[in-house]
Amino acid sequence: MKIKNKLLVGFGFYTLLAVAMGCFMYLELHTIISRLAYVKSADDIVNNALETRRYEKNLLLFNDKGAINELDHYITLLRKNIGVLKKEIVKKIGAQEFAKLSGQIDEYEQSIHAIARNPADKGLIEKVRIIAREIQATIDAVAGGERASIDYLLAHLNRSMILLLFTIAAFIIAGAIINMKLAASISNPIRDLEEATKRVGGGDLSWRSELTGRDEIASLGMSFNRMQERLSAARQSLELAITELHEKQEQLLESEKLASLGRIAAGVAHEINNPLAIVNEKAGLMQDIIGISDEFQNKDKFMSLIQGIVASVDRCRAITHHLLGYARPTESVMETMSLNDVLADVKGFLHKELEDKRIAMETNFPVDLPQIRSDKGQLEQVVLNIVRNAIEAVSEGGHINISSGMKDSKTALISIADDGPGIPQDKVKHLFEPFFTTKGKKGTGLGLFVSYGIVKKLGGMITAESKSGRGTTFTIQIPVDFRQ
Amino acid sequence: MSKKEIKVLLVDDEVEFVDTLGQRLKMRGLKVDIVYDGEQALSFVKKTAPDVIVLDLKMPGLDGMEVLREVKKLKPDVQVIILTGHGTDKDDEQARKLGGFDFIRKPADIDLLVVKIKEAFSEKIERAMTAITFAEAGVFETAERIIKKDE
Ligand SMILES: Nc1ncnc2c1ncn2[C@@H]1O[C@H](COP(=O)(O)OP(=O)(O)OP(=O)(O)O)[C@@H](O)[C@H]1O
Ligand SMILES: [Mg+2]
Repeated sequence: MKIKNKLLVGFGFYTLLAVAMGCFMYLELHTIISRLAYVKSADDIVNNALETRRYEKNLLLFNDKGAINELDHYITLLRKNIGVLKKEIVKKIGAQEFAKLSGQIDEYEQSIHAIARNPADKGLIEKVRIIAREIQATIDAVAGGERASIDYLLAHLNRSMILLLFTIAAFIIAGAIINMKLAASISNPIRDLEEATKRVGGGDLSWRSELTGRDEIASLGMSFNRMQERLSAARQSLELAITELHEKQEQLLESEKLASLGRIAAGVAHEINNPLAIVNEKAGLMQDIIGISDEFQNKDKFMSLIQGIVASVDRCRAITHHLLGYARPTESVMETMSLNDVLADVKGFLHKELEDKRIAMETNFPVDLPQIRSDKGQLEQVVLNIVRNAIEAVSEGGHINISSGMKDSKTALISIADDGPGIPQDKVKHLFEPFFTTKGKKGTGLGLFVSYGIVKKLGGMITAESKSGRGTTFTIQIPVDFRQ
Repeated sequence: MSKKEIKVLLVDDEVEFVDTLGQRLKMRGLKVDIVYDGEQALSFVKKTAPDVIVLDLKMPGLDGMEVLREVKKLKPDVQVIILTGHGTDKDDEQARKLGGFDFIRKPADIDLLVVKIKEAFSEKIERAMTAITFAEAGVFETAERIIKKDE
């Protein structure tokens, strides 16, 4: 029920009660007043009759001529008052007796007048007395008893008062109950809603208002729930966005770190190349000279020492040249190509290594993969670095899986998974840093660093996922059409 | 091809490096001259034409790229190999555009360098021969006939 209707019901109830009580009071008062009027008229009739008898005595006993006027006056009054109560009297004694009474009064009046004219008529006097006594008797019977009805009236009034008190009490109690019910039916849902808003305000977004029904508050509750759901959804997507933002920020920091490391490393590589070249030539010259000179003590020893220097220079050169590759500011050569061709080429290059280690390489290249525009040579270099790492990581007879796909319409994916020993969690974040290697002298620790730089330059991203003992998966994301 | 000694000019401001490299190349039968900056290199080229120049890029004064450009203007036949510790791929590209023969990064393997110098020398000889052939053709044949022959 709508609140308006509830209020109307409350108001209607009160109005009805008030009207009922008014009617009741009116009826009670009406009864009492009409009763009182009856009593008064009956009293008048009795008085009129008494006065009539008094003047009748004056006329009959003392022959008072003036009494005839008084008698006329009181008989008229008597007749009038009987007329007033005609209905009640008829009810009491019946129409016949009433007619008889009226006839007796008429007869009485005529006889009185006759006696006034002829006071000596004893028979007439006797007749008047008899009629008068009969009238008196009838009137007493009809109205005399009514004096006693004062008691009845009092009793009636008392009863009415008690009834009235009861009615008022009932009125108050029923009113209170109904009002309480109505008030509760309005305020309970409001409290419910208030509770809900408080909870939600306090951050409990899962709270729902449980209001049902058809009134405004219930529909408010439902709107509240809808608002609430929207709010939760908005908060969820906000939280998601924030997490994403954090991830992006971390990636950005990481890539900035790697980029500046790259610049520093390239700078160092440049500076080192010249002194390295001097060492290289000096050692080389020593080798040349000793090589052509006659046998002398420790000649072989010197040769092998120099061989060591030259080999170390070679290692340094591998590092500096690798690093300079990373810093390569050349424009990439963009061409339209199939990613799957790139992967197949890499597989071809590594054919021998794969066979030597009896590695099963699975490939999963969807034929409907769209063509992409990127630098083929550089992409090949990246995939080569990663697959080579995988080959070095897995044991004899291990597995490598290369697959391609689309992340969305703008980004292609290459994923390279192996079942090698994996990388401990605390090392994963160092993977792309320069010189991070677990291969000792055999590795420069630059393969992934360089690959990272290349993919970055091509507008993409490399991520690694690995758990110790569970293999490693590298994922390369590359834009389908990268505009520098 | 000719048994004639290959004349190499080394241009580098890193004295220790270039002197040692010079000795090693001499030991490998090349005729080596050394200068230590770009200006010296240009005046040397004006006086005597070497077969191959091994040129550093980063030098005080005239840098390697400018020297290369000037040399190619003065004596287009002279082959230039860039040997540098600073070069980027972009420098590599630019040097080749300017007519450089090859681009090698320091520290370089001596055997590789010698191979490259010999290749550069053959290139130079070949060009000279083609030029002569063309000159002879120019004397005896009309332009139209060359075109026909090519077709
Ligand atoms: N698929 C893999 N499984 C386990 N560890 C890996 C894998 N790929 C890379 N790593 C680890 O990351 C390190 C860094 O690899 P990166 O390619 O950068 O250098 P490297 O392979 O050690 O040296 P280089 O590439 O010069 O041979 C490796 O030494 C290895 O510890
Ligand atoms: Mg590697």
